[in-house]
Amino acid sequence: MAVCVSVAAAPTSVPRPTPFDYTMFTLDNGLRAVCLEDHSTPIVHLAVWYHVGSKDEKPGRTGFAHLFEHLMFKGSKNVGPDQHPSLITSIGGQSNAFTDEDTTVFWETVPAQYLPEVLWLEADRMASLDVSDEKFKTEREVVKEERRMRFENVPYGTLSEIIDDKAFSTHPYKHQTIGTMADLDAATIDEVRAFHDTYYVPNDATIALVGDFDTAQARDLITRYLGPVPKGKPVPRDIPAEPPHTAEERDTVTEPWPLPAVVVSYHITYDGHPDSYPLHVLDKILTDGDSSRLYRDLVYEKQMAVAAFGEAKLIENPNLFYAVAIVQPGHKPEDVLQELETTIDRVKTDGVTPDELNRAKRQFARDYVFGRDTDQEKALQLAHAVVIHNDIKTADGEFDLFQNVTAADVQRVARTYFTPESRMLLTILPRAVAPARSGGGK
Amino acid sequence: MIRRAVAVGVSVGIAAMVVGTSVAMHAQSPAQPQSWPRMEMPAPLTAHPVPFPPYQIRTLPNGLQVLVVLHHEEPSVSFRLLVRAGAAQEPSGKPGVASFAATLLDQGTTTKSAEQIADAIDAAGGEIATGSDNELAYVNGAVLKDRADLALGLAADIAEHPAFAAEEIDRQRKQALSSLEVSYDDPSYLASAVFDRIVFGLHPYGRPNEGTQESIAKLTRDDLVAFHRTWFAPNNALLAIVGDLTTDEAFAAADRAFGSWPRKDVPSPTSVEPPAPARRLVIVDRPGSAQTEIRVGQLSIARTSPDYLPFDLAVHVLGGEGANRLFGVLRTDRGLTYGAEAELHAYRTSGELVADTNTRSPQTGEVLRLIVEEIARLKDEPVDPRELRGAKDYIEGSFPITIETPSNIALLVLNQLFYGLDLKDLQTFPQRVDRVSVADLQRVANLYLKPDALTIVLVGDASAFADELKALGFGEADRIPLADLDLGSPTLRRPTSGPRPLPQPLRPR
Repeated sequence: MAVCVSVAAAPTSVPRPTPFDYTMFTLDNGLRAVCLEDHSTPIVHLAVWYHVGSKDEKPGRTGFAHLFEHLMFKGSKNVGPDQHPSLITSIGGQSNAFTDEDTTVFWETVPAQYLPEVLWLEADRMASLDVSDEKFKTEREVVKEERRMRFENVPYGTLSEIIDDKAFSTHPYKHQTIGTMADLDAATIDEVRAFHDTYYVPNDATIALVGDFDTAQARDLITRYLGPVPKGKPVPRDIPAEPPHTAEERDTVTEPWPLPAVVVSYHITYDGHPDSYPLHVLDKILTDGDSSRLYRDLVYEKQMAVAAFGEAKLIENPNLFYAVAIVQPGHKPEDVLQELETTIDRVKTDGVTPDELNRAKRQFARDYVFGRDTDQEKALQLAHAVVIHNDIKTADGEFDLFQNVTAADVQRVARTYFTPESRMLLTILPRAVAPARSGGGK
Repeated sequence: MIRRAVAVGVSVGIAAMVVGTSVAMHAQSPAQPQSWPRMEMPAPLTAHPVPFPPYQIRTLPNGLQVLVVLHHEEPSVSFRLLVRAGAAQEPSGKPGVASFAATLLDQGTTTKSAEQIADAIDAAGGEIATGSDNELAYVNGAVLKDRADLALGLAADIAEHPAFAAEEIDRQRKQALSSLEVSYDDPSYLASAVFDRIVFGLHPYGRPNEGTQESIAKLTRDDLVAFHRTWFAPNNALLAIVGDLTTDEAFAAADRAFGSWPRKDVPSPTSVEPPAPARRLVIVDRPGSAQTEIRVGQLSIARTSPDYLPFDLAVHVLGGEGANRLFGVLRTDRGLTYGAEAELHAYRTSGELVADTNTRSPQTGEVLRLIVEEIARLKDEPVDPRELRGAKDYIEGSFPITIETPSNIALLVLNQLFYGLDLKDLQTFPQRVDRVSVADLQRVANLYLKPDALTIVLVGDASAFADELKALGFGEADRIPLADLDLGSPTLRRPTSGPRPLPQPLRPR
């Protein structure tokens, strides 16, 4: 078989994902709900999104949104501490939660007949969370173990913490969702109650329900169980903006990691900005697959890096495009950093090829199609559109925005955002080989 | 929205959270909001029966077994090719050859370069991944429907005709050695690797799948070619195709891609027996660690054992969904860890039971004491019927979730085919789980658990807990400085201590 398939088909022939046939409504207390029937398996997935994440945290209280997420399993008026997960597993279901910079999400996937139970469970903890000081303190130790496990005790575990801390001066994206040990220790049970009153209110919540149900019946059940939860005050959105960066930053630090890492980052825009679509395409061309520029150049051809990866991190507020290379032994970190920077910057001067553009568009189509495999994934797409874009139509509508991106768009956003003023160049050396005086300021 | 896995994830969440059986209602505190009413949990709606979904199996004339599961919701096709060519098939002197061969499959064939393969699959909007584990090598793929033939053709080419070109071997060897350099600084990797080595001894299941730096440095092109020639054959493989095709289209596509792969005689793998369980306490000393990675367990039963189902349920009570005593004791009650679980890793000829957790260094002794106590209690005392009910409710109730995606359906069927188990068992699974009794659990727990002959591996800062272990009665530990650790050595130590030199890769001939 010949391999001259690199001239990919025109974007118009890319297979399209099946559009979502959803129903959306808002309860009197402000709770937004999206329902999508899927009768292929007799299960339902419920996701409750609270529009609060680590970017809502105040200085000195980093990690609080995520710590609070854990406490939502510690009891409410009609549900005992830690009873929620055992009730879910006893019906063969799964439940969990996650917190990121912008949102906190609780979810259950259960056999379809248990829809009333999961709605009731979520309503009970939204309306009447009741955490004892003892449970709070025990759970705080669990979260500290989580920080040790995910960040402190693994090679490169604090990489994103280092990048964000150095790249941001003001915006709370400067700190990690997990928070610091000192801030976790400083949190009190009174703050837990205040946080619940402020953010865990129906007017700050969106639910996405996907699975084997009848929408009219589901709407009745949602209204019955979540309708009586009292509406809260308007939710504060006083998040300090990051001031424009005016000069390139360069820094070298040391960490007890086995191989050096080099980082290039740029400040970019937010998720949903018109430039975000070409930035996503640029991200794919640089980082997705063994034919992507970073892998092909740094890992495969020049063999300077053990791994090279990156991301246009497009979230609710402006964040970063960053690229990382783990340095292959025998190469100098400064050479690898230079190569990484040059590879990224080349888009500004030379643009991208039609083959690269078509490849990225098919990769997007693949992400869309395979990103709708499960009820949980469908709920994620729908709720994200509602909460982050405030426009549910983007769940399907972004497909065409991606397919219509041109090579000129990609080159334009590279020139717009990949500027020297916005750039940070970071070298992280293993402690053993680091120069004695390194780790200094910029 | 677009989200894809990236190496530097920042989203945090709670791991599979399951609590123990002590879920008695908690006394409400006076701070309780008064306006929200007391309520009973609502009753479920009407349930519908959930049969195992349809699938088709045919065997091509060359012996390749092909499984097809249809799914028409999205225009996608995915596939898995499994070849019985894992660590269990490695010659005894060549640890890591299965994994290294699998890594090189998509790095060039006799007619396409590594770059051409990457360009082709990426341009199609597809993905192909190759790898291996204890018992198999795999070529997995996912692609938009209109490029299914292209992706299957690529998969067949890389499975049948890998070039094992000298420059690609060189390149991947360098990658593998550097990746191992990073892995040797990852306490979780080290704890599991050392645990497997002790439990399985020189049996292939005890080898690190990715080899060691020493073994990878020694592998030659001839080793790779010989391994591939011996084991990669259609009559030694299974293929699953899943997605938006008709049954006839799927089987025809399998035949177009794999039909010309010639059948050949495949030997039976031979290996030594794993050692009988014996008490071992090993500390890999990694000064400065924030936590200790803990593994406790022993040699156990094979996947094909008639006791697999009741013993798996017993392990669920110890540390799985629906009951998890370890999670209750270590996390819920004491906040000693983020996650704790026990798993039965059951393979074709043998298996292991492993309890897995991590904790801050000063609590290492206490956590270890609690784990060993729970394993002994599972052997000595019948489980509470409510705990068994909890584990069974979870396993039976979760059946509809396990068949949500066609890929998962295919995995369940592949698993039966791979281990030579009865396909009819898929239909009767919930009933078979339900029949397991407290007495069945007690019998297998008593028969298989050896609390006096546990393998214990701790990776962490020994200065923070080694003395306490003695005080707790764990006796002398075999303490290995990280720099001396050698996963390829029978003693787990390098012959001479001192700084570990990075081995120089040999030039392939």
